[in-house]
Amino acid sequence: MAAWLLGPVLALAAYDASRVLEVAASRGPRVAEQAKALVRQIERSGTAEELQRLKEINDFFNRRLAFKEDQEVWGVPDYWASPLESLEKRAGDCEDYAIAKYFSLAATGVPTAKLRMVYVRARLQGQSLAHMVLAYYAQPGAEPLILDNLRPEVLPASQRSDLTPVFSFNTEGLWQGVGQVTAGDPMARLSLWRDLVAKVRAEGFL
Amino acid sequence: MSLMRQIAWLILGVVLAALVGAVGLSTVSARQLMRTQLELKNADNAQALALALSQQQGDRELIKLLVSAQFDTGAYEFVRWRGANGETQFERAEAPRPGQAPAWFRAMLPIDAAPGVAQLSNGWNAIGAVELKSHSSYAHDALWLTSRRLLAWLLVVGIVAAVLAWAGLKRIRRPLDAAVAQAEGVLAGSYGQVMEPRVPELQRLTRAMNAMVQRVRDLFEAQAGQLLVLREQVHHDPLTGVSTRKHFLAELDAALRRDDGPAVAGLVLVRLRDLAGLNARLGRGAVDDVLLTVVSALQAYPESVAGCRVGRLNGGDFALWLPAEGVAAETARALADALRASLPAFGPGVQVALGAIELPRERPSNVWLGEADAALARAEHQSEARGDFVVEIVADPGIGRAQGEGLWRAQLQEAVSQQRGRLVEFPVRDRGGHLLHLECPLQLQLDADFQPATAWLPLAVRARMTAQVDLLAVELALKAIAADGQARCINVAPVSLADAVFLPQLRELLAHWPQASRSLLLDLAEAAATEHFERLLELGRQLRPLGVKLGLEHAGAGLAQVEKLYQAGLDYVKLDASVLLGVAGEAGRAAFVRGMVIMLRSLALRVYGEGVVDEMDAQALWDCELDGLTGPWVTASPGN
Repeated sequence: MAAWLLGPVLALAAYDASRVLEVAASRGPRVAEQAKALVRQIERSGTAEELQRLKEINDFFNRRLAFKEDQEVWGVPDYWASPLESLEKRAGDCEDYAIAKYFSLAATGVPTAKLRMVYVRARLQGQSLAHMVLAYYAQPGAEPLILDNLRPEVLPASQRSDLTPVFSFNTEGLWQGVGQVTAGDPMARLSLWRDLVAKVRAEGFL
Repeated sequence: MSLMRQIAWLILGVVLAALVGAVGLSTVSARQLMRTQLELKNADNAQALALALSQQQGDRELIKLLVSAQFDTGAYEFVRWRGANGETQFERAEAPRPGQAPAWFRAMLPIDAAPGVAQLSNGWNAIGAVELKSHSSYAHDALWLTSRRLLAWLLVVGIVAAVLAWAGLKRIRRPLDAAVAQAEGVLAGSYGQVMEPRVPELQRLTRAMNAMVQRVRDLFEAQAGQLLVLREQVHHDPLTGVSTRKHFLAELDAALRRDDGPAVAGLVLVRLRDLAGLNARLGRGAVDDVLLTVVSALQAYPESVAGCRVGRLNGGDFALWLPAEGVAAETARALADALRASLPAFGPGVQVALGAIELPRERPSNVWLGEADAALARAEHQSEARGDFVVEIVADPGIGRAQGEGLWRAQLQEAVSQQRGRLVEFPVRDRGGHLLHLECPLQLQLDADFQPATAWLPLAVRARMTAQVDLLAVELALKAIAADGQARCINVAPVSLADAVFLPQLRELLAHWPQASRSLLLDLAEAAATEHFERLLELGRQLRPLGVKLGLEHAGAGLAQVEKLYQAGLDYVKLDASVLLGVAGEAGRAAFVRGMVIMLRSLALRVYGEGVVDEMDAQALWDCELDGLTGPWVTASPGN
């Protein structure tokens, strides 16, 4: 009630495992179990090398989520699900994989400046389709590593000739200058990406 | 602070707080809205620009051109391209525009919208980010304009609210003031009722006050009614209803002594002849009828002329006091005619004799009665001889001023304008002998000597000069009070109240002596309360704040008939000698006086007694619990 009255609630900009578990528990035992596994995975990976983290988190989601269209899972043409939502459905489409990996890696301590969501054009069996992957830049300007659900292993971009990058974005600068996000601010939810980020923050990631 | 002022301040405070709060809140939330919109615009423009820049295959010149184009066609503080390592590759910037909003407004409500940031890529290569920030001055201008407009509107609304509140307060104030005035009136002994207001709280208050006032009135009226009954029993002859011998003699005494009567007055005696014989011949019942017929003829006078008195002296003797000059003879003849017409109906031999005299009022009462008896005896003697109604008139008082009225008026005016007057002083003492105040009748020096009021007051009334004379007396009294600090009492003629200039001049006079005014008492005759009641109320309203005390003098039986005495707001009442004379000798008279005292006390009035001549009466009056006495006995007895 108080939170509703106050409207914009300040969410601390940091990963909070207990918050993730708490939110998951409120959504039922199935998602709670999945969340526990994710939190354990993030904890384990947090101490590993970044390349190792990429592989573990990539595998974690590629194994657990089945590829399904948004229409089938959510009943709408396009839906950007948070990591917990994807784990709850045990399914998602390309951007849901990328999203889950992005925020989980951020949670393990990978700087978001090194991560980018990339719109790509994928050629699959002679067909061309819109796709989204997660790119990891070890150094700015270096060749990125690609985390994808079409090919489950982490590969350098040069070995992914099936993908043509179009545009990239991440959470850098999204909340610059303000330093804090107002999760309840309706203005902050104007785009799918902003809406998603606000949602993910409320779940305790980032 | 008064209740009304508190409410007014409260309303003002609430209106101001609402005004300031509304303007402040609205401005702050408008600022928040604008900041969010500006940030969204920054972010969206950055994304759109980044989308375009990411399609240029990393061509630096093209990217710079696009950045410039975006900057030139929009309103931006800066558009910046940062390389992958954060170093600035290209930047277009402009100093913040001043805008129309004043600097203090911008400083108080800064709109610090964050720049928009979007990532650039060339294929898989990250080539940095683009940052841009829009000008915020137009947002400040809009905020400034809306704030001012809102303030103006709310000011209008506030003024309307204040006017409405003021009108509302005035509406509440009227009944509240009425209730307060009523309460003050009750405190001052004036038991007035007011209209019930529509405001429920005040309505209950006023209803309670009105009920209280009504109860006091009822009580007063009940007491007055009892007094009337008592008076009938004590003062009046049970058969005929006119004054008993004793009471009539007291009334005559008092009438002769009072200073505002005519210089010459008349007395008519009527005797039903051979009362014993009539009783034997006609029977007691028929004789009673005869007596009633005689009385009804006599009663016509007091009923139509103020100050006339009728008394049954004994058996078949009646007396009629006429407080006017030159009417005794005429009255006696008219009475004889009336009786001549009505008495033969009871049979032959029913005869009356009438004697009328006219004398200066300054003669003592025994002279009056002796002269009248002599006249009556002569009439009876003649009627024995003639066997008819005989009227014997001795109407040659042998006095009266030779001079005309014009000379009188001139003398009076001269005496007043030259202030040739003096106050004689008679003490009013309480039971312990302490001097309460001095009763100060005015004496005017008309020719050589100082003359008492009996000599000039009737003329002053006729010449309508009582107001000036009374003002002179008040001035003399104020001077005397200022000199020795002793409370003094002045008689004011009732007709002075009817004079339009009297009250303003009196107020002006009192304003010159504010200290002395507090020790001044003004006596008004009963007539002031019966004939000039509204003026009396006005007098009380205006003089009470100055500390002047008001009272009625020569108050007697007529007091019970003064309607609304409970509303008059008087301080004291002086009971007339006609009520007080002989109280020691008759328990009934004492009971009447005691009843009057109780009734007047219930109205918070002090009660004094006038014209006390002997110690027995004085003692009886102290037993009736009067507050003070005056008269020859008091003047003669040494003060304490």
